[in-house]
This record gives sequence, C-alpha cells and structure tokens, in this order.
Amino acid sequence: MSSEMGGVPGKPDAREELRHRVRPEARPVDTSQVVLRGGPDTRSLLRSHARRVNRLFVLDGAEVWAISVSVVLDDVGVGSSRSILRTRLRSYDHVYLSTVGRLRKRGFDLLPTFARPHFSVLLPGVDHAEELFDALGELHSNPYAGEQETGGQR
Amino acid sequence: MITIDIPADLNAEDETGLIWTFLDEAADPEAIKPGAIVVAGSELTPAVCEVVDLVEKAVGVVVHLRLLPGTIDQYRRLVHRIGV
Repeated sequence: MSSEMGGVPGKPDAREELRHRVRPEARPVDTSQVVLRGGPDTRSLLRSHARRVNRLFVLDGAEVWAISVSVVLDDVGVGSSRSILRTRLRSYDHVYLSTVGRLRKRGFDLLPTFARPHFSVLLPGVDHAEELFDALGELHSNPYAGEQETGGQR
Repeated sequence: MITIDIPADLNAEDETGLIWTFLDEAADPEAIKPGAIVVAGSELTPAVCEVVDLVEKAVGVVVHLRLLPGTIDQYRRLVHRIGV
C-alpha cells in the first residue's frame, strides 16, 4: 500500500465512506463488457485524479484510490455506448476503450458507484496509476464529441 | 496552451450526478462561484463548465460542475465571430 494517504494521523478520519455510494447491483461479471473513459490522460493526471478520490473518500474505512470510468451496460438508454459517448463524454474528442476483463487481468477491480453507468476502477495504491494507464489501451475518436446534449443528468 | 480555471476529472461524478473537484485546486479560487462559467478539466481535455455549487466538507470545499454544450473551439469561434 502506498504511504501517500489522505487521512491525518491521530485524528478521526473525516473522509466519506465510498461504500455508501456503491449501487446495489452485481458487479460487471462479463469480461467482455466495454469500459469507456474520456482522454487523453497521462500517468500524472491519473495519479492526480486518484489522489483526489483518496482525499474525499475511504472504502470500508480504509484508504482508497480510484479512477472514474463508464461501463457499457445496455444496448440502449443511459447505459449504452452511444448515450455515454454523447452525454457524459461529449467534451472528449477521444476516449479510451477497454474491457472489464482487460482491467481485471491487470489487477484492477471495478466498483459500481454513484449513478449508472459510472464505475470506480480501484487502485491498490496511487503508484498503480501507471499500470492503469497502460491497461486503458489506445485512444479512439469519439464520433459524438461536441454534440448538443440530448439526455442524461449532465 | 490553455489555462485551466479548475482541474477536474470530467469523467468523475458523485451522488449529485455532477462533476466534482476541490476548490483549492483552482487557479483563482475567488473566481469559482455558483453560476460562473469556467474552463475545467486538464490542459489536454479542457471543457466549458458552469459552477453549480460549492459544498463545504470536512476535507475541503467540493465544487460541483455542469458540463456545458459545445467545445472550447466552438466557444472560441463564437467569440471571434461576434468580435468581442
């Protein structure tokens, strides 16, 4: 575990419990399910994002580092790739396209957090951001970049 | 080089369904107020957002952002077109 933690030694941990934000649904078990993340990222950016999560949250009372992704859960609707790309990720010209299986194979578990189809990719420590960067794969063009939002919460 | 008003992961959201980040990461925290239009994200992935609210938490002030339609380039072209 990384020594870089958000808590203050000797003080009660004031961070929020991420477990309370986990959706009561089965984790994605289909290893072929597509994972989308707007990019490009750098290793440094991923570390910054993971540190931000660590500053605000704990998971089951312990340190947590995580990176946000969207998982394609449905063929249509908010969990579809089309909806994700044209709403949540519409500001991104490019997106990383990976799979649940690829991330798990590299040792990264996914937790269904907040609203569908948001997931948190859990990192064993902030230093593992580099491995996650490699696991995200190649960038692909987002065909819906810059389009007017037509639905969703954002 | 684009100047980012407030760094954020635009992929991230919290229980509000909005993008979140910390106020103390902003270049000028005084400029981050509800209703303000800001550039958020990173130098590689900037986007125009509206500041929705600021929420004081034990570990810092969280800023909620709403992604606005359009790209930075579209806003740039708009400003150029209207000549301001």
